[in-house]
Amino acid sequence: MSRIPVTILTGFLGAGKTTLLNRILTEKHGLRIAVIENEFGEVGIDHELVISTDEELFEMNNGCICCTVRGDLIRILGNLLKRRDKFDHILVETTGLADPGPVVQTFFVDEDIREKTFVNGVVTVVDAHHIARHMEDTHEAEEQIAFADVILLNKCDLVPTEKLDGLEKIVREVNALATIHRTTRAEIDIAKVLEVGGFNLDRATELNPHFLEPDAHHHHHHSDISSVGIEAEGDCDGKKLNDWLSKLVQEQGQDIFRMKGVFAVKNQADRVVFQGVHMLIDAASGGPWAGRPRKNSLVFIGRNLDREALNKGFRACLA
Amino acid sequence: MKNLVTFAAEDHILHLAWSHDGGRLLATPASGSILVAGQDGEILETLPGHGMGNGEAAWFQDAPATCGFDGKVRLLGREWSPGRGLIERVKTSPDAKFLAAAQGKSLHILDQEGNESLSIRDLETSVVDFAWNPSRSREVATTGAGGATLWRLGQKKPFARFDWGGASLRVGWSPDGRWLATGDQTPSVHIYDIPRDHPLHIQGFEGKVQALSFSSDSKQLATAGSAVATVWPMTGKKGPDGATPIQIEGCESAAQALDFSSKGLLAIGDGAGILLVITFEKGQFRRKRSKLESGISALAWHPSQPILAIGHEDGQVMFLALE
Repeated sequence: MSRIPVTILTGFLGAGKTTLLNRILTEKHGLRIAVIENEFGEVGIDHELVISTDEELFEMNNGCICCTVRGDLIRILGNLLKRRDKFDHILVETTGLADPGPVVQTFFVDEDIREKTFVNGVVTVVDAHHIARHMEDTHEAEEQIAFADVILLNKCDLVPTEKLDGLEKIVREVNALATIHRTTRAEIDIAKVLEVGGFNLDRATELNPHFLEPDAHHHHHHSDISSVGIEAEGDCDGKKLNDWLSKLVQEQGQDIFRMKGVFAVKNQADRVVFQGVHMLIDAASGGPWAGRPRKNSLVFIGRNLDREALNKGFRACLA
Repeated sequence: MKNLVTFAAEDHILHLAWSHDGGRLLATPASGSILVAGQDGEILETLPGHGMGNGEAAWFQDAPATCGFDGKVRLLGREWSPGRGLIERVKTSPDAKFLAAAQGKSLHILDQEGNESLSIRDLETSVVDFAWNPSRSREVATTGAGGATLWRLGQKKPFARFDWGGASLRVGWSPDGRWLATGDQTPSVHIYDIPRDHPLHIQGFEGKVQALSFSSDSKQLATAGSAVATVWPMTGKKGPDGATPIQIEGCESAAQALDFSSKGLLAIGDGAGILLVITFEKGQFRRKRSKLESGISALAWHPSQPILAIGHEDGQVMFLALE
């Protein structure tokens, strides 16, 4: 049975999530999308495919942030997955002040949900007019950017064009991997939101071929959240890689929001793709290399990342 | 076992509930119309569903009370929307005077006149499940993230709180009111001996524990959580503490439905369609095993006759008679 794609929609209060949701629900895209709405704002979305729920955090292990999941999601998804008429896509909207971590972790931790769904992408709507202040005032706005696969830099009509490049740079400092779209009133081709394709490191490197280079971000950092990219030719030693990643997430998992990688592992013909959230990591075959050079690409997005130590640690895993 | 009758709902059966006199069965599918069937399988009523998903329905004032993801409760010809957010189940108090519905951080309590002045609001965490105390009609237990909380209707503060951490999915009270048990997302069961003020944490389950059932004499507690159902002895001063439980094998996948009959028979159903009916005698048990056509998602013994209602993942409902 094919797994149902799930898109997680985040964004600070007033960024335009509801506007985007309304577009998704009303445009003719031919998909049957269930929406789990968590934003109990003044204006709710009254639509037959929308389920409203109260955010409910389940601490699975004595308050460890990495082991915190969304209990309400587990039960709602469990029920939706029982239905005879399945949905093509599920969209989960978080509250404006939510840490996206527990939402994403839910799809890693719960066996039933993991078997039947997969996180297709995290989409973060950013209010271009207010983002600089939001990032200064709160951790949540930064963390929502850090978790994103796709960022909608929304309300661009309220910001002079010459300032948008600077804003994009600020966002890019936090998350070098996400695709950024500039929008007004969340007007965007819905495919760009829903067909993120989950894990796609190749796309990111096409977008910015230098983002993996250690000196790509030499400008001043506004934030303690950043991205570290590592690229290395040659094969890795699978055991060394596994040991290193396990130790890394044990020691620094709380500060690592997302990890993604493609590895060339010794004695394995296919690509190994991996992704992680905090302390949870998941690896799978990424299919054949298909003529592409065997090389390793790895990205960390997190707080207080030590670029040099991460590079050194990874290079020690090369066979 | 003899198949008496079969009828079909539109979707995966979520919950089954016999009326008090056993004359009707309320069958709630995951989505679509909710059915009321007679003991002969005839569909007596077809009730509208609740949009994206139904919650577990119950009998109230001898009539069906339904709820669901649309945040509505329908009963006695009325529709009631207490607030925003889904409602996963409604349950009637043992004295049949109140209907409770959990919605987010509220436990709505409705009386026969439609008043809800006894509702419990602004709980610290969302109510995942709740259970009325069978031996004291005005007491109710709520559970969710962090443990379980005991409430008396009319009092704004709980009279007991069990902060055992983790996250509970199900809560059940033994019929004599002595034991409170939760089935947890972290694969475990918490049991609380209320008179002794003594907690017990049982771990080692393979998966989350989504079903538990006390026997009508309060002497046994059956728990799911793997393909091996476990029956804990609840007798004696310490109950299951230090005792050896009965392990019942025979399922092909995790047991997902459990129900004790009023005569002490235990029915167990799994997602592969395996039905086990267990008879206990002097510390031993006998097992009848059947393989049915579709996964078993709900079970409900008739209140007075040896008839078992079985709800399937494919929407079928079957009445089996024990021979």
